[in-house]
Amino acid sequence: MIKITNLSKAFGELEVLKDISLQIADQETVVILGPSGSGKSTLLRCLNGLEELTEGSIEVSGLVVDAKDSLKKRKKIIQKIRRNTGMVFQQYNLYPHKTALENVMEALIVVKKMDKREARLKSEEMLGKVGLLDRKDFYPSKLSGGQQQRVAIARALAMEPDVLFFDEPTSALDPELVGEVLRVMRTLAREGMTMIVVTHEMKFAQDVADRVIFMADGCIEEDTKSEVFFSQPSSERAKKFIKQITEHVHGE
Amino acid sequence: MDLVIQNLGFLAKGAYYTLLITVVSMFFGLVIGLLVALSRLKGNRLFQWIAKCYVSIIRGTPALVQIIIVYYGLVDFGITIGPLTAAFVALSVNVGAFLSETFRGAIQSIPKGQMEAAYATGMTPWQTMRRIILPQATKIAIPPMGNTFIGMLKETSLVSVITVNELLRSAQLLVAQYYVYLPFYLSIAAMYWIMSTVFSSILNSVEKRLSKYD
Repeated sequence: MIKITNLSKAFGELEVLKDISLQIADQETVVILGPSGSGKSTLLRCLNGLEELTEGSIEVSGLVVDAKDSLKKRKKIIQKIRRNTGMVFQQYNLYPHKTALENVMEALIVVKKMDKREARLKSEEMLGKVGLLDRKDFYPSKLSGGQQQRVAIARALAMEPDVLFFDEPTSALDPELVGEVLRVMRTLAREGMTMIVVTHEMKFAQDVADRVIFMADGCIEEDTKSEVFFSQPSSERAKKFIKQITEHVHGE
Repeated sequence: MDLVIQNLGFLAKGAYYTLLITVVSMFFGLVIGLLVALSRLKGNRLFQWIAKCYVSIIRGTPALVQIIIVYYGLVDFGITIGPLTAAFVALSVNVGAFLSETFRGAIQSIPKGQMEAAYATGMTPWQTMRRIILPQATKIAIPPMGNTFIGMLKETSLVSVITVNELLRSAQLLVAQYYVYLPFYLSIAAMYWIMSTVFSSILNSVEKRLSKYD
């Protein structure tokens, strides 16, 4: 379970997250929507310590980080949280000097201290899961964006995380490559993986998410079941957002 | 020309010292350079400040002066070292400053996402630096490093002033003996050139090997 309590985040004067509280249950697929600059990615990055908390606390896999804790304590707990969570980035961030297989193996060997043979087997299994076993010896530069992102998902999955964070996983992809990545994510959701997904893919939010969190200006404007969000959004901003997005899709 | 051939053994010995000084100073320069770059990027304020001063002082003063200070100056503090050791120390410290700037630039040029991806899988900052950032930075650093090394090879001629019998001083000694200039100086020029070329080609092949993932 993930629990966010009174989380605020500021970059200098700029308040990006304002007093956010939120709970996410195991096996839930939550999509975070909202206009750019609303704080979606920052919220996600606070959950695995890529951003420091300004105020409030988070709890992930039973590990609590409070902004009031000492730096040393926070660092220690964040390190543990990162072992139990996985993240998929907009720009894939695969290690360019390692093959697809080595990308997946890296943390298994370095963080989990698995022996090489075992790590290889596990990594091959994960690449198989995202349909890229035949590309295991390719360097990232020889893979398409969609393939790179699937390797990145395999890399995160291999660590057997309690929860996966997706930070706009399809935003950097050519339109024709979005589908293959979403397919993998759909399968994961169906298998009961806990997922928090920041995305602009409305169709994915509608079809796959259990729950939609709509953010604007660093606040949660709406937090409802996905069906409800799209059929009867309650806030004006959400209505406007949905309208803009759908118009954009239909090209009107 | 006969004189050169007669004295080839003597010149070769000079070339050997030039090469030895270059390789030893390069090795320690690399170690110093890496440590200083990391201190500047990841160290606390004190380390950053020390590193910054070191780089500024070394880059802002002539290598020749540094060599003389190490050899003659340290005697005042009761430290007496042989000319060869002085050459190793002075040139390592000198080249370390230049290499640290190269490394710093190379490390900074690796996109932040690489670090974040490694952190997100639970790697520590040190593991991330060693396994993810440095291997990529090394490849970027190689071309400018090559320039520094070749510069270094030629700078070894400066230590002739502290009586190390490297290539230039070998030639000077022969000139003093035979009173002919050109053949000796031309032949050591050729020897410097050959050594530089060999260094370049070694670095090229290292770079190529590291580029296999492009």
